[in-house]
Amino acid sequence: MESLTNTQWDVTISGTGIPQSLLALSLSRSGKKILHVDKNAYYGGPEAALSLQEAHEWASKVNEETAHLPFEDATISSSLDKPGSGLSSSRAYTLSLSPQLIYSRSQLLPTLVASKVYRQLEFQAVGSWWIYKPTSGGDKDLYRVPSSREDVFTDDLISMKSKRTLMRFLRHLQQHLKQESAEEDKPAIEDEDLDKPLSEYLTSKFHVPPELYDPLLSLSLSQTPPQATVAKYAVPRIQRHLASIGVFGPGFGSVLVKWGGGSEISQVGCRALAVGGGVYVLNAGVESLEHDNQNDEYSRIQLRLSSGEKITTKFVVGSNWDLPAQAQSPCTHDKVSRSITIVSSSLESLFPVTAEGGPTPAGAVVIFPAASLGLTNELPPIYISVHSSETAECPSGQSVLYGSVNLPGQQGQSLIECAIDKLLQSSAGPDVNILWSLRYTQLGRAVRGDTSPANDVSGNLIRFPPPSLDLAFDDSVIDLVKDAWTIIMGDDASPDNFMKFDDRESYDDED
Amino acid sequence: MSDSGTANTPKPSSSVKLVLLGEAAVGKSSLVLRFVNNDFQENKEPTIGAAFLTQKCSLPTRTIKFEIWDTAGQERFASLAPMYYRNAQAALVVYDVTKPSSLTKAKHWVAELQRQASPGIVIALVGNKLDLTNDGGGETQADAERDSGVEGDDTLQNQEEQDDNTRGDARKVSTREASTYAEEEGLLFFETSAKTGLNVVDVFTAIANAIPESSLKSGRAAGAGTGQTTLGGGRSADDSRVNLGDRGSATAKEGCAC
Repeated sequence: MESLTNTQWDVTISGTGIPQSLLALSLSRSGKKILHVDKNAYYGGPEAALSLQEAHEWASKVNEETAHLPFEDATISSSLDKPGSGLSSSRAYTLSLSPQLIYSRSQLLPTLVASKVYRQLEFQAVGSWWIYKPTSGGDKDLYRVPSSREDVFTDDLISMKSKRTLMRFLRHLQQHLKQESAEEDKPAIEDEDLDKPLSEYLTSKFHVPPELYDPLLSLSLSQTPPQATVAKYAVPRIQRHLASIGVFGPGFGSVLVKWGGGSEISQVGCRALAVGGGVYVLNAGVESLEHDNQNDEYSRIQLRLSSGEKITTKFVVGSNWDLPAQAQSPCTHDKVSRSITIVSSSLESLFPVTAEGGPTPAGAVVIFPAASLGLTNELPPIYISVHSSETAECPSGQSVLYGSVNLPGQQGQSLIECAIDKLLQSSAGPDVNILWSLRYTQLGRAVRGDTSPANDVSGNLIRFPPPSLDLAFDDSVIDLVKDAWTIIMGDDASPDNFMKFDDRESYDDED
Repeated sequence: MSDSGTANTPKPSSSVKLVLLGEAAVGKSSLVLRFVNNDFQENKEPTIGAAFLTQKCSLPTRTIKFEIWDTAGQERFASLAPMYYRNAQAALVVYDVTKPSSLTKAKHWVAELQRQASPGIVIALVGNKLDLTNDGGGETQADAERDSGVEGDDTLQNQEEQDDNTRGDARKVSTREASTYAEEEGLLFFETSAKTGLNVVDVFTAIANAIPESSLKSGRAAGAGTGQTTLGGGRSADDSRVNLGDRGSATAKEGCAC
């Protein structure tokens, strides 16, 4: 039987996060000898999806071995000790460490389709965007953000005058969308006002009244405080939101992947390479790395794995958290507070079918502008992604709340906690319980819009930048993977062939 | 077995992820090949990594589409299987009725599935290569040796142990031993021959029938008692599924065109 040591590996991929796994997919029919290792006992790296038991083990690891994972300060609180709390068994849950929604217009989806692995994934709709907007009565504190023309017309909270200005703004965006598809190279919007905060831009250009700032901001999923969110960043993202509506069905513009999101995408990527002959070893990290010829960074690389084996390989690919310290790339990261909360309510009212003939949404986004919680608008908004049991992340009758705020530490966690309280007060019955929660700080790369991330390449060592902290899948990941693929494939790389595969089996597409 | 095509009103269709596990050379891939293509290859190459196939199974009230993950028995680092049995609704754990060690390995797989896989997973224990036993019918000793040739060293051992058996019968694992174990663990149990096709379809049909209706449906009854407005009338069980193949089309529902 083959041994790791006796094989001359072409590529060693370390870590099974999304970029590494998409790279595995892209190389799955390259004929190269590929070893794919992960120091963790699970797939998915920072995108992993965990059972309750695994989450407990993960949290201890995060706290005991700092710098081992791109996470810090994990704490779990559980109602498990209370009898009859309603928490199900550990494996009834699949909790995602980095939940991201995927816009219908994201490059990820055509990539998954062209590479044929989409057949192994199940996609579900993210339906409504809600904004917390406390009213005096207090019975209808969540306001559904209108995100299509139809929505705007039927909305009963926006005044007629505001509707007209909003329609004008939406028309403006749509015209740019058309222009954009007509002339691909031209930037969608050119305008010096774009350096202003979104609110100023909306007012000066379109006379959009302040009551619409928050709804429009929320569509951009901006994680910075309102005044720090410039139009240049937010407008293309609002545009993306609107352009995505209806692409895969009526009434929704983004999807999530059933059974744990990014973790599933990682695993189909890895499975594709396994089918193609790649060798997989979990619980095996890269402990040390040196070049055969110390003076030539293009020489073969000797790796020692934590399993004790020494191997030689031409290329090594990984993120900082998957490589030994000496091989890491110097970079800074941003930090956000995140939490995962399991509640004893299905929160049905958050998941209305949003258009006739549309699917039942499995996800909803709830935004809490800091001001709506009585805080200063200098603070960033709090986002709660609500996943129904349709996602298979929790048993029916429960739901999972993924909280995120661009503010690390205790302050961020208390903001999320406050937002979850308000959410439950307005959407669940009085007897709702928080069954379990996990709080942590996540390290990664904030998406700023003006700079594209790049791999750090030195010779045959390719390092992916830190994982994206965006709440939507960050398309630059596809470019990072393509860049790595291009280096590894060398002369055989033909850009048109990237991620384009035939089905391995025949399908009757009547399904 | 597959679509009979009489459906005027389409039956509900559900996908079931099924994973095959078992020691090397017990005939996992051959079972799938028999089920999917009704074919058999002598001296089949060992599976590398894993393979993915699909096949429909038509029941009286619904159609089950199996998404079959066939894993490599030789997988050395035990790092692939977790990826396959994750979210699987069914598992086929295969052993070779002529090789007792393969049943031991099968028991390990069953224990791992019970520990790690989805709580409601349907597990079938399958003893393959029944054609090498007297129960398989019509095989000669020469055929038996040729067919078990993949096992290499074990063939010799088998022959020594053969003395205990009826002449021409290579069986080393009694039906009773395996079925008793299956009963204790709550597994479906079959003995099959991928070579002759004996019982192969029955295994998959039994699994299809054993999948609880609740795990085929979405967790939540659509719109039930929620005050939620259900537009567009009746919905199938799969109504939260978004079909990427339908880009731009108005209906995003799967399960209505089968």
